[in-house]
Amino acid sequence: MTVRALQKISVARNGVGAFVLQCKKMDLHYCDWAGSSKGMNGFIKSLLPKFAAAHPQIEFNVSPRPAKHPVIIAHYINGREKAVCVRNMEPFEILKKAELLRDASGEKLRRVTKPVSSINESVRGIWSPYHGEGMRV
Amino acid sequence: MSRALLRSALGLRAPISRLAAPAVPRATPSPFSPAAAAAAVAATTPALTSVRLFNQTAQHVEPSQDPAVLLSSNPASSSPRQQPPQQPQEAQQPAQPPRPLSPAVRALLPVLAAQPGHYIRIHIHGRPFLVTEGDSVRLPFRLRGVQTGDVLRLDKASVLGSRDLTLKGAPYVDERLFTCRAVVTGVESEPMRVMIKKKQRCRRKKHVKSKHRFTVLRICEVRVNGEVANEA
Repeated sequence: MTVRALQKISVARNGVGAFVLQCKKMDLHYCDWAGSSKGMNGFIKSLLPKFAAAHPQIEFNVSPRPAKHPVIIAHYINGREKAVCVRNMEPFEILKKAELLRDASGEKLRRVTKPVSSINESVRGIWSPYHGEGMRV
Repeated sequence: MSRALLRSALGLRAPISRLAAPAVPRATPSPFSPAAAAAAVAATTPALTSVRLFNQTAQHVEPSQDPAVLLSSNPASSSPRQQPPQQPQEAQQPAQPPRPLSPAVRALLPVLAAQPGHYIRIHIHGRPFLVTEGDSVRLPFRLRGVQTGDVLRLDKASVLGSRDLTLKGAPYVDERLFTCRAVVTGVESEPMRVMIKKKQRCRRKKHVKSKHRFTVLRICEVRVNGEVANEA
């Protein structure tokens, strides 16, 4: 009887080996005419350079979007995007939104009841009535 | 004068040249350097979430960070990267001699360590989570003072077990016996939920919106130390 390996598909566990930030790109759109973009313009001039320097793993793309509200669109490794409209916000409020997008994974928001999720088999094994103390009748 | 300071702090105008000199650490807002403290920025600026806490123990310092880090005037929130070596000694209480392990624990600890799989019941702010290596834990709260990518060494564990042996602490297991590390992978939030409050025979409905945020950790290491080095 030959010894054969069990075929298993590897499942990614981000953080166990190396940690990869899930946010890979952020598009920032501003407008020079709209009043709702005043905070965004200030954010881009004052706070964005240091935020971008602190996260070299995120690609930042700043472009004007005339006659529209300012928006930040974050692209994630799982292919999804999250857009946050930052109209009428102060620069520090926009910074908080940028940090929210950076910390998020691209997954859809869902309600989770159990805190721990694991793909490992149970350490102590499955209960059996024939092992252990047995049942007293 | 104060109005100009206020506007420059809010970032609406380019910072005034004499205040932008790096020799004056207190006046330059630097929310992204690891040494940032909310106290270093002007009082009108809202506090940012970039302050790192959990600096009671000496931390592993990556040598590749840039040395031009501004040290804050507030000692409680000093940098986790470039902590002066005197501070951990001042912050710790006078070191108590480590309690000796019982002979039963000392005899069976190598057996526990040699088993193939381990689980550990860790406590974060008192709440227990039973985890193995590689699990993802979504805490029921947002852990403050940590950033995405930080590695936390968890030292409170009440149960440490394997297939045949279980080590129970009273109330916690001695932290020399195990190592458990977790990486902060991010902060996720629940979907928006709306609670509608209404009384009978009154038409007014009050809508209360909630959208809580939760820290997600990935347990990257669960290890039982087969031999304890510094035993009394």
